[in-house]
Amino acid sequence: MAEVILKRLVKTFGSVPAVDDVSLQIPDGEFLVLLGPSGCGKSTILRLIAGLEDATSGEIVIGDELVNFIDPTRRNLAMVFQNYALYPHMSVRKNVAFPLETAKMPRHKITEAVSKAAAMLEIDEFLDRLPEQLSGGQRQRVALARAIVREPKIFLMDEPLSNLDAKLRLQTRIELMSLHERLGITTIYVTHDQIEAMTMGQRIAVLHEGRLQQVGPPTEVYDVPANKFVATFMGAPPMNLMDGELQQSDANWMFIREGYRLQVDQEQMRIAQSALANAVGEVSLGVRPEDMRLGDLGSNGLPGIVRFLEPIGSDLYVTVSVESHSVQVRMPPKTKVSIGDKVKIEFDLGKAHLFDSSQNNLRLS
Amino acid sequence: MFLAFRPWKKEGKLNYMDAVRPKESLKSSPSYARGKSRYIFANRFRALFAYLVLLFFVAFAVGPVLYLISPALRDSISLFDYPPKIIPDEPTLDNFRFLFDSTRYLSWALNTIIYAAGTTIISLFTNVLAGYAFARLQFPGRNLLFFLVLSTLMVPVAAVLAPTYLMVREIGELPIIGRPFFGLDTYLGLILPCTVSPLGVFMMRQFISTLPVGLYEAARLDGASEWRILFKIVLPLIKPALVVLGIFVFMITWANFLWPLVAASGDDYRVLTVGIASLKGQFVTHWGVLAAASLMTLIPVTIVFLFFQKWFVQASMAGALKQ
Repeated sequence: MAEVILKRLVKTFGSVPAVDDVSLQIPDGEFLVLLGPSGCGKSTILRLIAGLEDATSGEIVIGDELVNFIDPTRRNLAMVFQNYALYPHMSVRKNVAFPLETAKMPRHKITEAVSKAAAMLEIDEFLDRLPEQLSGGQRQRVALARAIVREPKIFLMDEPLSNLDAKLRLQTRIELMSLHERLGITTIYVTHDQIEAMTMGQRIAVLHEGRLQQVGPPTEVYDVPANKFVATFMGAPPMNLMDGELQQSDANWMFIREGYRLQVDQEQMRIAQSALANAVGEVSLGVRPEDMRLGDLGSNGLPGIVRFLEPIGSDLYVTVSVESHSVQVRMPPKTKVSIGDKVKIEFDLGKAHLFDSSQNNLRLS
Repeated sequence: MFLAFRPWKKEGKLNYMDAVRPKESLKSSPSYARGKSRYIFANRFRALFAYLVLLFFVAFAVGPVLYLISPALRDSISLFDYPPKIIPDEPTLDNFRFLFDSTRYLSWALNTIIYAAGTTIISLFTNVLAGYAFARLQFPGRNLLFFLVLSTLMVPVAAVLAPTYLMVREIGELPIIGRPFFGLDTYLGLILPCTVSPLGVFMMRQFISTLPVGLYEAARLDGASEWRILFKIVLPLIKPALVVLGIFVFMITWANFLWPLVAASGDDYRVLTVGIASLKGQFVTHWGVLAAASLMTLIPVTIVFLFFQKWFVQASMAGALKQ
């Protein structure tokens, strides 16, 4: 078990930066999720920590040791790969025992450790089978057993659930969390699935184009996204963004777009006066679908026309076109609304966000 | 619809075809019977044609070998009977007897086995190492070096024969590493120059690169060294390719004539091909003896091939089965 520190980590492939100046501290025993769309550099960070790639610059510290120039074979990390990477010619037992045999552990200890890991992941029934004779979920558990069997300092997981079907994914998610709870090993988990990130991570690090966008507990990242990218990446359907202008009239700040004015309440939105003053001009107003509702026509809301209805059982997502934009609103499932209705969209200003022209959230600056 | 028209293909076991099997009443209709017989005829005709084509080419491959049997079993007088007979009137084993009694056939055979087996084992080792390095290790100049290795494929054997001969001869004269260990008329002098083949390096590299990189990375993170990865992960997974390459090298070496002719011309290290050629006298040639010797030379290679045949098929299927 150990702490992981990344200092100004850079990795370029040719002239393309895959990881661009990422600094991150992961305390001992934490479950950290690296989240981002494909190609954002999250897997590269994992491979840099594992030592499968060499950093172009920056430092990687595991425990209290700089590991940049330590061979992956000696970093004592375990990695679970997306396609499991089980050795196809070895039985499950041999697969799990492989890292221990490599470490030249005495035979009776290997047997003991393998059966312990097998019991923990409930794979003892098929220890003598070959990987090709197992289902996806079983292979996944074998890969996990192989990872935990030698009690590594750190667990690295590269989208380990993405090859499983939806139901199994849900179940394995819970198993992974309870495994982490029991073993308490520092875990770095890569995924592009924001639901996985929200449910599993103690902290989430959001990446985009090789740069770290925001690090924090899931609720913080969701509730106070650092910038437009995080705001739209977290949450499905994503946060609604409306472009407009910020103007000062008397002592009040107004958000203005065609046919719509909104008084910005500093207190309620928790934005400092100075931040607002710096953002005069083009801004975006962001509100999550669940913080919006359809109000009656007399209210002071955004006017629009209902375009689509998506009932998903527990909720009803209403797509409303506001001029050229479309906005999604989450409503209770039995809401009486039909396509073509003229509506006004109301929302709670306290849950809205303002992003300045450089896309940063004004609340954070 | 068309599928439903072949109920005779499925007997006994229940399967999805039952659901679409035509009703009994349909079966008795004349169009059904006509369709069925046409279908069977077309299939059989196609198969017959395919076999005829195959047979034509097989005749070229097997014919000469079969043709060896007849003269091997004749005495030197009946060989020239006219009109010629394929099956001899009085088959005789005299030719074989002559080989064992009056020539050093057994010694040649032993030399050939040492030569072919030694070359096979050593070249598998060198080719796997080189192939692994080209497939998996990162080092400067890797692609250039691989290109150079491949380009030696274009150099004809005869062109390097003389330089190789001179190298082996000169090294053989050196103290300590020279004769009796290495040089002309030594086993190592015969074997070592044959153990590096660009084709083998290429083949091993191709096979090793088809293995998923993830396996290799997983093994590295599991703490395995390059040697351990090579022996525990890579070798077991490319076993079919190893067998194929092994058989290739064995057969090529077994039949190699030119190099043994120049490198081991002395009587003690003569191999079968060179030995058989020496049976061809300046004035008289015992064709029957020659045929008998050639026939016996073919047997071991054939056995080796038959023994490993299933691996051959596996290796050629390896690409198709890749996930």
